[in-house]
Amino acid sequence: MRHFYTLFMFALANMAFAQSPSDGLMMPKGQLCVLGQYTNSTWDHYWEGTRKRDNLNLGNVSTHSALLMANYGITRKLNVLVGLPYIWTSSDVSYITGQKNFQDLSLFVKYQVLEVPVGNGQFKVQATGGLSRPVSNYTPDLMPFSIGLHTQTASLLAIVHYISQPGLYVTAQAGHTWKGNTTLDHFGYLFDSKFIASDIMPVPNMLDYSARLGYIKPRVQAEVWYDSFTGLSGDDIRYNEAPQASNKMRASQVGIFGKYFILKRLGILASFSQVLSGRNVGQSQTWTVGATYFFNVNE
Amino acid sequence: MNKRYFSLIAVAGLLLTLTQCDKNPPENPFKAPYPETSLDAQAGQWKTYMDITLFLGSVPAPAATNSAEYANELDLVRAAMSGATAEERDLAIWWGSNGVLRWHEIAREMACNYNVLPDYNADGTYPNPDPSNPSSYPRLPVATPPVTARMMGLLAVAQYDALVACWEIKFQHNRLAPYKNAPDIEALIPTNDLPSYPSEDAVIAAASREILQYIFPGEVSNIAAKAEEHKQSRLWAGANVPSDLSAGDSLGRAIAKNVIENWAKKDKMNQSNNQAGLPAQRDEAVTKGFVTQWNSLEIPARPALLPAFGFVKTWNCDFATLETIRPPAPPPPGSPAFQTAMDELLKISKNRTREQQRITTYWSDGVGTPTPPGHWNRRASDLIYDNQWNEIRAARAMALTCTAMMDAGVACWEAKYYYMYPRPTEMDRNLTTGTGIPNFPAYASGHSTFSAAAAEVLSYLFPSNEPSLRAWAQEAADSRVYGGIHYRYDSEEGLKHGANIGQYAVFRGLTDGSY
Repeated sequence: MRHFYTLFMFALANMAFAQSPSDGLMMPKGQLCVLGQYTNSTWDHYWEGTRKRDNLNLGNVSTHSALLMANYGITRKLNVLVGLPYIWTSSDVSYITGQKNFQDLSLFVKYQVLEVPVGNGQFKVQATGGLSRPVSNYTPDLMPFSIGLHTQTASLLAIVHYISQPGLYVTAQAGHTWKGNTTLDHFGYLFDSKFIASDIMPVPNMLDYSARLGYIKPRVQAEVWYDSFTGLSGDDIRYNEAPQASNKMRASQVGIFGKYFILKRLGILASFSQVLSGRNVGQSQTWTVGATYFFNVNE
Repeated sequence: MNKRYFSLIAVAGLLLTLTQCDKNPPENPFKAPYPETSLDAQAGQWKTYMDITLFLGSVPAPAATNSAEYANELDLVRAAMSGATAEERDLAIWWGSNGVLRWHEIAREMACNYNVLPDYNADGTYPNPDPSNPSSYPRLPVATPPVTARMMGLLAVAQYDALVACWEIKFQHNRLAPYKNAPDIEALIPTNDLPSYPSEDAVIAAASREILQYIFPGEVSNIAAKAEEHKQSRLWAGANVPSDLSAGDSLGRAIAKNVIENWAKKDKMNQSNNQAGLPAQRDEAVTKGFVTQWNSLEIPARPALLPAFGFVKTWNCDFATLETIRPPAPPPPGSPAFQTAMDELLKISKNRTREQQRITTYWSDGVGTPTPPGHWNRRASDLIYDNQWNEIRAARAMALTCTAMMDAGVACWEAKYYYMYPRPTEMDRNLTTGTGIPNFPAYASGHSTFSAAAAEVLSYLFPSNEPSLRAWAQEAADSRVYGGIHYRYDSEEGLKHGANIGQYAVFRGLTDGSY
């Protein structure tokens, strides 16, 4: 089971896209980069609390996303990013109608706090603040087929990045996301074993962190990464029941990413990742393909 | 350089402090106790479901209010009140807002927690709960709609019958509450002139305890603790003396045990999961012409849910009567009427609107919820609370409503396994649904039957709410069509069936002596 929004943040974080909210790269001043990306994330095993299991009535559950994202360099130290995915879910076995809609609009502001030469490279520190909100009235109440949890979020990330002259780099990032409550379609739910007489359900705040190791040159980038997120509160999926937005979700995954500029301004990119361990999430395998185009706005 | 490090640390610090915020679900709304001005002195004459004559003489006469014994008891109340912690005073107020409704609230939460289907074994079979190990998964009982409806019927009948006996004895002895006999005792809850011996709260606690312990053997100690807390709360509130409570407890216990021994254990519920009898039921349906039959859509195929629940004993009408009001045969699969219904579902499924999805989910009341009977139990509770009915009127209302829903469940299940009608998704794989597909035949819709029965009874009890009650029942019925798991006629016939069944409970209400 997945909180797709969080995994989307993951995908964003581990970018299949240069100059993302959580990598160590910054857009030059006056440059605009637009990304179009397709993501497919599929699981057939999931963690019901800490119990890993499958469910033959769900089979393979997939979340697909078509994302449009733009990143603009206001200055070399200040970038603004905005993105909106269209998400649809499916299962190869379940009778439940897959859901589909535009999901949440995200806005990020990334600021380079520090840049100092160290050895034959540069050591950088950045901070990103983000906000998101749903743009459609999709339901959060049909998990695991809901396209998101339908809450507003605010996030803060800190990034440290070292890039050496030959092009090797290492990045570490930690972040915190605050999430609002969500409103269910049904009234009354169990939280742990207590019956809550309300349709308002709390969604846990999240802590996430990642580490990347990569190589970047003007024309090519390759990277391996590890990331992890954890809910800071919440209950577990009950025995043989469906997930719900209040669940404490946790996942760790590893992935690889590559980008290649086929033209001076046009890059193609792809990534693959696998969730290794988790709680109240699906053991997803995710791959993305996309293209990114750079404009010099001030030309 | 230092400034930048400082701002980094500030950000990190902010992050850390904010992560300590706790995210809890909303508190359940506070329900203040209300004054219960109507004493219903004649309620001891109301007609009960079981015979209570035996129990009327079982309660000893109380000590006189001018006796040393009673004076001693008043001191015990004073001590309990002055020694009560803030939490205990809160509990006195919590239990004070209608003990009948509070125990139904507890029962709904328990049903919710036990409403979970067994997960399949590696060999493709499904485990059954183990009575000798009721707390290990799958836990006993599996609180599906029929099981929950039966539980609520037993609970409501035990409470009601016990309270009728209680009221009869109260007005024989007319010993008032401690706050009436001792001017220095200031009750924490609204006061009145209702005789307090035996304590109606102790009666309710004991009756509810017996029934719920019988239904939920894995919760015996939790339930016992709740019942003790309920009784104690009356001392903290200054509303009862200990002998009120012990008399009430033994009365409630005896009457509830009677319901268990002479009704519950003889109602054929223990044969309701007769899987071995299902082939014969299927053959019977074939001889009647119902050849295209329901089969489990689950993987692996799950045994049909309680195929013999339709033969469990009903409260307000007998089986012969139920046979006469069984819904008529549905359109044969493949017929034009069938296809029209199928086309409607396919159309909705292709473009289910956000509102249709909301209604589907709102009324789905599936696993992890108190089921449709539980949903209507909550509606009934809210109406009783809003109208500030006293315990005995509340118990009567819950008994009429819950027995109607139990009868509706039995009647509906009897029809389902009589016709063995296949679910829409079995007949057209292009159909996708907005909610899970229950593991039993389609015609007629349980949601519609339960809802219409409850709406029928509640409309009688609360006539000014009839329009919204009927609208809710209609919406519950529609929700199954929007969800794509029932044909339109499943819901239409279910509503009619439920209303017919509800009428038998209404008739009882009209003739039970409560005017």
